Amino acid sequence: MTVILQTQKLRVEYRNRDFRQANKVALLGLDLEVRAGEVFGFLGPNGAGKTTTMNVLLGFIPPTSGSASLFGIDVRQPIARQRIGYLPELTYYYKFLTAEELLRFYAKIFGLSRSETDRRIADLLKLVELEHASKRPIKSYSKGMQQRVGIAQSLINNPDLLILDEPTSGLDPLGRMKVREIIQRLKDEGKTVFFSSHELGEVEAICDHVAIVHQGELKAMGTVAEISAGHPNLEQAFLKVVGYQNAAAS
Amino acid sequence: MKVSPWILLAGLLALAFTLATKLAATADNWSGRSKPENVFEMLLGDGRRLFANESFTMADVYFHSGYYPSMFDQNAKEQREIIAASHGHKETEEEEKKEDFFGQPHDWIDAFGRNFRITRHTHLAAHQEREILPWLRLAADLDPQKIETYTVGAYFMREHLGRPNEAEAFLREGLRHNPGNSEILFELGRIYRENRHDLNRARNVWEYGVKSYLSLSPDLQKENKLVYEELVMNLARLEDEAGNYAAAIKWFEKGKVVSPAPDAIQKQIDDIEKKLAGAKPVAAPK
Amino acid sequence: MNKIFALAGVVIKELYRRKDFYVLFILTALLTFAAGSANFFHDAKIVRYLKDICLLLIWVSALLVAILTAARQIPAEREARTIFPLLAKPVSRAQLIVGKFLGCWLATGLALFVFYLFFAVITGSREQIWPVGVYLEAAWMQWVMLAIVIGMVLLGSIYFAAPSSTTTIAFIVVVGILFVGSHLNTIALQQGEPVQSILAFLYFTIPHLEWYDLRDFVVYDMGMAPVGAVALATLYAAAWTGIFLLLTWLGFRRKNLTT
Repeated sequence: MTVILQTQKLRVEYRNRDFRQANKVALLGLDLEVRAGEVFGFLGPNGAGKTTTMNVLLGFIPPTSGSASLFGIDVRQPIARQRIGYLPELTYYYKFLTAEELLRFYAKIFGLSRSETDRRIADLLKLVELEHASKRPIKSYSKGMQQRVGIAQSLINNPDLLILDEPTSGLDPLGRMKVREIIQRLKDEGKTVFFSSHELGEVEAICDHVAIVHQGELKAMGTVAEISAGHPNLEQAFLKVVGYQNAAAS
Repeated sequence: MKVSPWILLAGLLALAFTLATKLAATADNWSGRSKPENVFEMLLGDGRRLFANESFTMADVYFHSGYYPSMFDQNAKEQREIIAASHGHKETEEEEKKEDFFGQPHDWIDAFGRNFRITRHTHLAAHQEREILPWLRLAADLDPQKIETYTVGAYFMREHLGRPNEAEAFLREGLRHNPGNSEILFELGRIYRENRHDLNRARNVWEYGVKSYLSLSPDLQKENKLVYEELVMNLARLEDEAGNYAAAIKWFEKGKVVSPAPDAIQKQIDDIEKKLAGAKPVAAPK
Repeated sequence: MNKIFALAGVVIKELYRRKDFYVLFILTALLTFAAGSANFFHDAKIVRYLKDICLLLIWVSALLVAILTAARQIPAEREARTIFPLLAKPVSRAQLIVGKFLGCWLATGLALFVFYLFFAVITGSREQIWPVGVYLEAAWMQWVMLAIVIGMVLLGSIYFAAPSSTTTIAFIVVVGILFVGSHLNTIALQQGEPVQSILAFLYFTIPHLEWYDLRDFVVYDMGMAPVGAVALATLYAAAWTGIFLLLTWLGFRRKNLTT
């Protein structure tokens, strides 16, 4: 299977504003590979480097050294993001636009035709159940509705790779179910999903492959079965990998 | 006891209104200041006078259709009293038009920038002079003691716009703020003489102007010598026109004392004396 | 270009959905009507002061619209974190800057069009003349100048985190240039060293925004400024706008957006 997301010796250092202190190293030569059609869980405790990795993949921060590519294109090239969808942990959109206007704006960025845009918007609004509110400004939406707008925008270009940052955190049970449904649907369609999460049960249920990072380093990577081998479940395996002693004892 | 909030509100409003009627009169007595005459006085107090000069200058800018030196331009200081100095004197106006305060461009920025500045020296004409009036009105409101505002405004209304009534009203407003001012009285007299052809009223006003001038301190008299000369010379010509030759000679004699050209005046006196010798005497004015 | 126009479209929508423009327009209209209703010596034909006041209000309002709109674009995107879903799409930072610039410029142009239409109606109803060419030229020059201002403000917004700081500094700089920009060399001559050299240097290096003020031509019925000079001034404005946008991009291209 083709590798569609890859990092090689990816290193990111944040410059310290106080010159007397050393720079903070967020990623220490991360090597990662995600193949087409996989649902890939990217795990790690807070501060492990998950968000930094995603920020590099999405072009928000430049790597200090090493490389990262999407579909074989360096992530510093905007075209690398042509076939991806991104759902941030918390959704923030132009509140003066309506959901339909927001989707139309993003569709234009992807260069979709007018008829294609109309069709996608109709499908996505139906999928996230926002048809009734599509002409209302986003500022009038509830938090759950805004999150659903976020899901819709991440799918506007019918992406081959979906990058989700803690997609279910802050969602109500209904919203979580909707996200799981979407991931499952994309998986069925043969799309690739790369997502970070703290919900290990969820990861276990829907992921094919998992990577665990800790303190900026890749600690483990493989199928869920491979990582969980010798442990009662993925959670215990995760705790052991990140060096939580009680888990190792159990 | 439970009181409806509406009744409480009505009670408080009634109290506020009652106290207001009582306090308004008292507050007037508390304040030593006089009631403001216009919105500028109310808002700016005496500070409004600072803006009066700018407003007067704006009238001048308008008169020159924007061809005007900024405070940074060379010779700006000398050029900024144009309207006051040259109005009514055709030769001075023509001479002034030849002056160029821009000079040669200093550099390409200056040269190119002149494409977007008005570089033609023109004066308003053909009733377009009316455009300066709003700034003179504003200057008068900002500083009612600024005499040139009234005299310049009245001059343009009388001479260029054919509106002697408005000119007279403006001058009378000036007199209310500056009682007995000789310059205003001189301009007022010109309206009676030149527009209304009412020699008696012109004479009265100008004589009052002379009287006011003579009541000034010696320093102020020195400062206002020009208006005194204008007053006496115009009175002399008026009396000459009215056939009151003796009175005319009297005013010419006064004018001779202050004029820079006494010989020319003496010649006029001689002419009148010749007329007086050859004509029957006319009753002197009251 | 589609991406740039899409980004610009959002800025324009923001302008007409916010209240800033409407407040400024209503204020301009009210003050103009108030000035127009004044009676000066019973002469109803006096019109220049009204044109002057109305154009001054238009200048101040358009400057405010341009500066306020441009100053908040990038900081607001970062503060509201809308920049993340946006840059996760195939949009480069250069396109983002150009799109924001174009949006601000077109939005300001839209505002200017409404303002000048109002001006033309007010003065036309008094004077019964319609010097459309003069108005168009004055509006064009003002719009072109605002392109430089917007570029300058976008550059400032990269370095000053708060839009209020950018707005204040930009307003002072622009008003300063408009008032003394063309006189800096004269002022320099009256100063000692090193102030003289600094002022002379500034005179030759600042964008000369004062060229774009053709209000006097409109107020005093002086006809149009030379078209060739207007074309050159447009080119000069394009160059300065390009300089500011390039500097903005250089400052923004490697900026860590997560801090």
